[in-house]
Amino acid sequence: MHVHELNPKKTLIALLAFVILLLAGFFTMHKPLLTYKLDVKQSLAMLNNPDACFQPWQLADVLNHKDKNVVLIDIRDKFTYGQGHIPGSENISAFDLTKKENIERLDGFKKQGITVVLYGNDQLQANGPWMFFHQVGFDNVKILLGGYDYYHAHKENLMASKNDQSYLKGKARYDFPKVAAKSGSTAGKSTVKTKKPVVIRRKKKAVVASGGC
Amino acid sequence: MNRNYFILTIIMLVLAAGTFFIPRKSLQQQAKPSKLLWEIIQPTRYVSTDQVAKMIIQKDPTLELIDVRSADEYNKFSLPNSINVPLDSIVNEGGMDYFGIPGTNVVFFSNDDIKADEAWVLAKRLGFNATYVMKGGLNRWIETIIQPKEPAEESPGTAFESYEFRKGAQLFFTGAKVEKTTTKKSKIVVRRKKKAVVAAGGC
Repeated sequence: MHVHELNPKKTLIALLAFVILLLAGFFTMHKPLLTYKLDVKQSLAMLNNPDACFQPWQLADVLNHKDKNVVLIDIRDKFTYGQGHIPGSENISAFDLTKKENIERLDGFKKQGITVVLYGNDQLQANGPWMFFHQVGFDNVKILLGGYDYYHAHKENLMASKNDQSYLKGKARYDFPKVAAKSGSTAGKSTVKTKKPVVIRRKKKAVVASGGC
Repeated sequence: MNRNYFILTIIMLVLAAGTFFIPRKSLQQQAKPSKLLWEIIQPTRYVSTDQVAKMIIQKDPTLELIDVRSADEYNKFSLPNSINVPLDSIVNEGGMDYFGIPGTNVVFFSNDDIKADEAWVLAKRLGFNATYVMKGGLNRWIETIIQPKEPAEESPGTAFESYEFRKGAQLFFTGAKVEKTTTKKSKIVVRRKKKAVVAAGGC
């Protein structure tokens, strides 16, 4: 006789408790804070959207408080921020930006239609975090082209950078096929001096008279 | 037969049938957002043009260079043995065929490094590891490998060492042939003096 035939009630209670525990766990499982809102294809499309980029000359309006709809966030570390940052920017590293209170702030900004501009030393440093925040649903996040370095070099006259294109990345700066052409002949003047191999001259060993005369 | 057993069996069969309706998980699991961000803020994905040049010269079998620019740009010029996977085609059928091959290290590169970094983030999201980005891209490649600049007098010794390496790499990649150049040490001249005749014994 099996034990559950002897104690049908106990078996039933154990079974019910098990099911209830399962259901309880299932319903109290908390949703992760961040989920993907864009799939990979949409993320790719986002990259080609010029609206997702913030031009350096647009900073001029932000700095003189004409544009109040922009929040600047410096994603570099505290020390670098302390050495120099764009006035009015907050220092929040990309990692801290995903903490609960900051996500709630970002949500708030999104609802109010406020643009959040991320910047690092250069565009590359902010590139990853910028892509990430778009993928989790914050389409109001833009990236500052040229980064802090370009701003710092041109902060006296930001509006002039409207005509400057040097901060735009992705263009070939050299005529690659020409510059890196494979040549069969010897390379250009070698600035390295060639040392003449040193000649070792061995003098013939003289015949040594040994013994007697 | 006991009625309870019968009921239990029915329940089990129903649950088993339910597994047919579970959505099939894709072969490559997407990275969770928190994990993706953690990976994004690590700087370990960047490799320098010197490192890539070294791997090409040494014919490193694990190296897989992927050019994420358009097909036109790729056909004009690209790094030796690189594969062209334009960034926009990553999501297309077969776009990811070159990722995730076990044992290979994928290095993305483009004119600069933004496009390559974007490709890296998307590949990382799709779950591919062992992916890297060549910092500075082809522009830096030209500036360091094809046209290396001689370091200033006061530069540290390592600058000169890397300059030597880059000169060698330049010759390798531009296919030029040059006679052997400096030897580190100049050979020491050995001059043996004629051994004087030794008068042995008496006069």
